[in-house]
Formats: sequence, structure tokens, C-alpha cells
Amino acid sequence: MTRNRQPTGLRRSNDPPVLILTSLAAGPKHGHALAKDIEDFAGVTLGPGALYGAITRLEERGLIAPLETDDRRRPYRMTATGSAALAEVVDDMRRIADIGASRLGLIPGALA
Amino acid sequence: MSRRRSEGFGLLRWYPPGWRERYGEEFAALMEDTLGNRPPTRRLRLTTALTGLRERGRETGVVGDSVPPVDRARAGSLLVLCAWAAFVVAGSSFAKLSEGFGLAGPTGTASVSSGAYRSVMVVAIVACLVVAAGMAIAVPAFLRFLRGGGWPLIRRHVVRALIASGVGVSALAVLVGLAHTLTSAQRDGQLVSHPAVWYYEVAFIATMLLLAVALLLWTAAAVVTARRLDLTGTIVSAEALLAATAAAAMVLMTAATAVWWGSTASSTPWFLQGAPAGAAGSPLNIQLAATMVLMLAASILAGYGASRVARSGITFRTGPG
Repeated sequence: MTRNRQPTGLRRSNDPPVLILTSLAAGPKHGHALAKDIEDFAGVTLGPGALYGAITRLEERGLIAPLETDDRRRPYRMTATGSAALAEVVDDMRRIADIGASRLGLIPGALA
Repeated sequence: MSRRRSEGFGLLRWYPPGWRERYGEEFAALMEDTLGNRPPTRRLRLTTALTGLRERGRETGVVGDSVPPVDRARAGSLLVLCAWAAFVVAGSSFAKLSEGFGLAGPTGTASVSSGAYRSVMVVAIVACLVVAAGMAIAVPAFLRFLRGGGWPLIRRHVVRALIASGVGVSALAVLVGLAHTLTSAQRDGQLVSHPAVWYYEVAFIATMLLLAVALLLWTAAAVVTARRLDLTGTIVSAEALLAATAAAAMVLMTAATAVWWGSTASSTPWFLQGAPAGAAGSPLNIQLAATMVLMLAASILAGYGASRVARSGITFRTGPG
């Protein structure tokens, strides 16, 4: 199966970048808080390597930005570009989820 | 520094210096928060090492799209150079194994194996010229780099390669002296029960390993140097084109060697064992199998390097850069 990848690099719902943006949509967080939040809402455990690999990519693409802090635990916030990218990928996922739910008969009265 | 903090920093060594500078402190803090008082598990060590190496690959342009296209093309070309070094080792092994095939050829050799053998030789010559051309066109940039005070940046790598070469060449001189005390049959590995033959075999393998290490260190020095050269767009394009040609040559040579092995195994299997013509011989040869594996691995690496060049999006220009 081929699928056009978005220029933001966001793909599946369990992609670390998507999970990080989803977590940051609720407000700025540092690495450990991000990992805990993602584990809570998605059941996905991101190790330090995977988490910081994704943070590096997201910062490079301007989707998140670091906040000034004196603490070693630097928090990150989602940028406007990141918000738009997340909205796009969430819309894409919702469309597919709606079609899947409809075809499975999980939405009464709806036809695909 | 606490033990846990020190372990977090210890795992950072897998990451490139630039990344450590930017994210090191917060990464180590995350490690401390994640681990608490527990030591890092093997899985955590492994995944951190892999992500660190991947980050190094991204920084050098070997994987991902974090660096500009021209740097991705350069990284792809340097991967082909590394593959070439491995291929030279495999090619030397093949040359030793097929010694005598090109001169006289075993009795009854099928034309297919002769054709495959000639193909390997011709393509090898072309590939050597391509690699030499790749080095030659980088010479002006290399001289500029030296004039600009670049020598201290590469001195350690060059000195290490020079020392390894000196040791390798000395070992080769000893090996040649030892070879003169043996008959031709003994040098070819026959009569291995004889102590002198056994010493020669050990010395031969040790010398080849030393020369392979020297080649590896020269390749490392070349890669370190090439990454620092200020190359024009035209030169990078030309290097990329030459790298793609060298990669194709490696694939061709690997295929031709496989054909040579198959056809020699079916027509003259005794040649593969170094046995007299017509003697019973198995087509299986461990050294040839290892050689083929190394050729294949080098070809795959070269293919990946060439694909990085092709996907970098640079165009092959011929005008001034």
C-alpha cells in the first residue's frame, strides 16, 4: 500500500511525533511528563531514545519549540504549525475511523 | 555526579556531539526520571544505542532528511567508498582463490566460467579507474583544505593509517621471505601437515588481516577528510555519478563471481579445491563462500549509498559549480 506522506512527517496514530503533539495539545510538558501522559492516554511506552528522536525531528520541522527554563527538564510547547499539522492528521484519522465504524455497522443508520 | 546521573550521561556517548550539546542535559534528566534508583535495563541500553547511532546517521546524512541534499549525496558517495574498501578485501580473496584460472584455466573449463572471470577482471579495472577518478577530482579541494589549516583535524586518522600500513607492509615482507623457503605446492596450501606450511598459512592470514585493517583505517581517514572538504556543486555531482557507477560495478562483479562459481563448480569442481585436474572435488569452498558473502554485503551497502545519492535530489551537472 502506498500513501502520500505529509510534509510534516506525521503518519499513523501511534507514531511518536503524533503522540507527542497530541500530548502537547493539552499544554507544555517536559520529557518525563510527556512519556507519562502518552502512556496514560495511548497505552504506548516511549523510551528516552524514541521520545527524544521524535522531539528532535519535531523541533527541526518547527512543529514544537522549547521553552526557556533554568531546570534541566526543559518543557516544550506546540507551535501554530504543529497545531495545524496535528489538526490535519487527526482529521485524516477521524475520516478513516468514521468509514471503518460505518462499514462495521458501529454507527446505526450510516452507510459508507 | 550521582551514579544514576552518570549512567544517563554514559548512554549519551552513542549520540553525536552536536546533539549531546543541545539535548544532553534534558535527555540525562529524563533517564534519571525514568529509571529512578534502578540501573538501565539491557533493552534500554540497546534501544538508546540504536537511536543514538541513528542520530549520528542523520547528522552525517546517511539516513533521514535532516541535512541538505548536497550533504546527503556526499554521504551516499562516502558509503559507496566504504563499500568499495570492503569489496577490495573480497576481491583480493577472489584473486587468490582464482589464481591460475586466467593464465591457463583448468582443463575442460566451460566458456561461461571463462566469460564470467573475464567480466570480473574488466569490471574491476573500470571500477578502479572510477574510484581513482573520484579521488583525483577531490584533490584541489583537499589541497585547499590543507592550506586552510585542516591538517590537525585529520592528522590522528592519517597517522593511525600510516602506522597500520607500515605494520602490514612489514608483515608482507616477512611473508614473502617465508614463501621463498616453500615449494609452489606448499604455498598453495597443500601438505598442510608440514610445520613450515602451517606457519606460512598462519602468517598469510595474519598479514591479510593487517592489510585489511590498514585499508579500513585509510578509508576512515578518507571519509573524515571528505566530510570536511569544501566541494563545489559540480564536484559533488561528479562524485555522485562516479559513486553510482562504482556501485553498479560492484553489483556486476558480485553477479559475475556467482556465475563463475556456479559454472566452475559444475564443469571443473577440482579447481575450487586446488586439486589436480580430474580429481574428485566438492564445489563447496568455505573461503569462496565467505568472499561471496562479503561481496554481497558490500554491494548492498553500495546500492544503499547510490540510492541515497539518487534520492538526494541533486542533479548531475557538468558545468562549472
